[in-house]
Order: sequence, then C-alpha cells, then structure tokens
Amino acid sequence: MTTEHHHHERPASGAELRARALEALLAERGLVSTDAIDAVVTYFEQDVGPQNGARAVARAWVDDAYRERLLAHPNEALDELGFGGIEGQNMAVVANTETIHNLIVCTLCSCYPWPVLGLPPSWYKSEAYRARVVAEPRAVLQEFGVELDADIEVRVWDSSAEVRYLVLPMRPAGTEDLGEDELAALVTRDCMVGTALP
Amino acid sequence: MGGMHGFGPVVTPGSELPYHEDWERRVFALHLVSGLEGLGAGPGGRQVREEMDPASYLAASYFERWTFSAEQRLLRNGTIDPGEVEAMMARLAAGEDAVELADAAMAERVVARFHRRAPMAPPPADARFAPGDRVRVQRMRPPGHTRCPRYVRGIAGTVGRVRGADRLPDRTTYGLPAEPEPVYAVAFTSQDVWGRTEEPPFTVLLDLWDSYLAPA
Repeated sequence: MTTEHHHHERPASGAELRARALEALLAERGLVSTDAIDAVVTYFEQDVGPQNGARAVARAWVDDAYRERLLAHPNEALDELGFGGIEGQNMAVVANTETIHNLIVCTLCSCYPWPVLGLPPSWYKSEAYRARVVAEPRAVLQEFGVELDADIEVRVWDSSAEVRYLVLPMRPAGTEDLGEDELAALVTRDCMVGTALP
Repeated sequence: MGGMHGFGPVVTPGSELPYHEDWERRVFALHLVSGLEGLGAGPGGRQVREEMDPASYLAASYFERWTFSAEQRLLRNGTIDPGEVEAMMARLAAGEDAVELADAAMAERVVARFHRRAPMAPPPADARFAPGDRVRVQRMRPPGHTRCPRYVRGIAGTVGRVRGADRLPDRTTYGLPAEPEPVYAVAFTSQDVWGRTEEPPFTVLLDLWDSYLAPA
C-alpha cells in the first residue's frame, strides 16, 4: 500500500476534497480501514473485468454444450469458470445471431454485470447512453463504429430489475484455427455490452 | 431517463474508462465498504442518489452522486454528524495528512462478501402471466424509488421469460413489507414505445415486477 493516494500536488476540487474527507473521517474513527478501500479498488481492477466475460464467451465458441448451458443456466455456467457474486447473481446471457443484435443498458441507474465485466465505462453510465440507446440504438451504435444491416433486429435490454446481462457475440469468421485463449483475446468489453463486434 | 433528448454524444474523450481520478475509485470503494460494515442507514445508495433534486442530479458527476449518497447514509445512521465532513475538509485543505487505518481483516471480510451468490427465488407455478401473454404496464406516478421506467408506462408488450420471484423494490426500499412476486422479461416494439422512428423497428426489453403489469 502506498500513501500517494492521499497527497496531492494540485488543489483538490470540492468533490474530491469531500470524498477524501469522508475517507479520512471514517479512518480516524476506526470505522473504515485504508486496507479495505485498497482491497476493493484492487478487486475491481484485477479480480473482475472483461477478461472474465471473455473467457466465458471463448468457451462458448469452442464448446457447444457449454454454450447451451451458458444460455439456459447462465449463473451455473459462469460459476463453472469461477465467476459470480454481487451485481451478477441473476445473469442472463443473450446471443447475437445472423438476425439479432443485442445491447445492454440501465436507463434508471448503472446496473452492470460486475463479476464478468467489472465496472462500467463512463459512457455506459452517461445520461446520453441511458437516454438514447433505448430510443435510437443504431445512431448510438454508429458512434461506436458499428453499422448493422437494416434487416437485423436490434434488441435493447434495459436492466430494470436484478437481472444482469452479458451479450454473447458471434464468433468471427476465419477464427477456426484459434484456440480458446486466442479467441478470448478477441472479445472486448464493448462486444459483451453490444456496442462492438469482435 | 430513457428517451430524453439533449444529452449529446455517448462517446466522448475518456469515456471508455470507469473513472478518471483516484478519489473516484476510492469513494466508490468507501461506499461499498461502509455499506457492508453497516455504517449507513435508510434506503440504499441508489435510492438516496435518486432523492437528489433533478437539477443537482444532472449537474453532478457520477462519483459526486456516490459521494453524496455515501455521506447521506452515514449521516442518517448517526455514524457521522452534520458539519464533521466540512471540518475534515478544512483540515485537509489546510495541509493536514489524512489518517490511515490498518485493518486487513476488514478488507478480507468485505471482499468475501463480493462473492456472495443469492439468486432470485424461482418463479411461482401460479405466476399471473406466461410467456407469450400480452401485458400493459400500469400508468403510475410513484413518489419514490421504482424500477418501472417512465418510458414504458402505459405501453403494451409481450411476456418472455419469467425471471424469478422478487419483492417489490418500491416497497422494500422503505422497509415496507412485500411478498415475493414474479418478475417477467417483457418485450416492447419500438413503434409501441416511440411511434415511428427514423431507424428500422427494434425491440426494447425490460424486467418488470408483476405489480407493474395488467393484462392487455
């Protein structure tokens, strides 16, 4: 653990100062340990993240039985790989096909499947994404450089309850010779939210 | 805020990152730790953030909202008193070093809780709706927390999977009793939600509690 978090050369913004004061106050009271804060930060930067979701996707690409389990019983199938926990206790995996493209959003908040994708990018939490993707998904996809044929059905899943979504993208053509690890490397976070294609 | 206009582009410089400054990831962590350690009271952080007046909510950054809800929950629990955060802000602004607290057991305890697996109960056999049923979202104007977004109220859709059974957050948030009820994935066509759009028709799907729905 370093102390660099707690020393700042430049003047802190009001929000930053307030946040640092909360942490300092609770530490001074003996209520929240610096270790616990550091451990949580580390958890979200190392233990969970898109690398987990990518492993599940790659497994589904090479193993049809796993793919079936992942779609039918996602909690159990992800658990097989060791992935599960808060903000991912009721997983749904939605598969892209030649005729269906899936997108995930949380218009009310910022619900996101932490165990398999980690913390959401800023755009996912933005008012712009939350407001627009349920009303003009193709315009939003264009911003990400994704152009879909007009006959593809776009399905936008708004995470309004406790279900958390993961998009299972289609395996790209020409990857027949790749192994599971190489395939996983093709699967980005945005592919599993639906704003990119592998 | 589904469907609102005027927020501009989704993709902006830096928007691919979860946060941009160290304090943002630390206040997020502090929110989780203080919650798991039982230091906050009242509705959860999300619900407290929704209590912000709309102008303040939209003016605040994502992590400013989290700072707000963390502080509010600590105040409501009496863990901290009004004025104490400001007093500490003044001390830090004057150059005082923040106290650090070592407690590795707390770190282990908190992270262990992240692995908790407690899925929804399976749906009841006598769920009111079945896959394929047409339903209409009730018109409503709930005063507090709800999981029924405005943009589907009054709109008819088709039930897909029955997700499970869960208590209505509109009540449980405020400590009110609620029995588990079915939660359904409901599919809506873009024409039904938005009328004619410039884009080809698409589908919007939401997970909705039974209480939000009526037969259509």
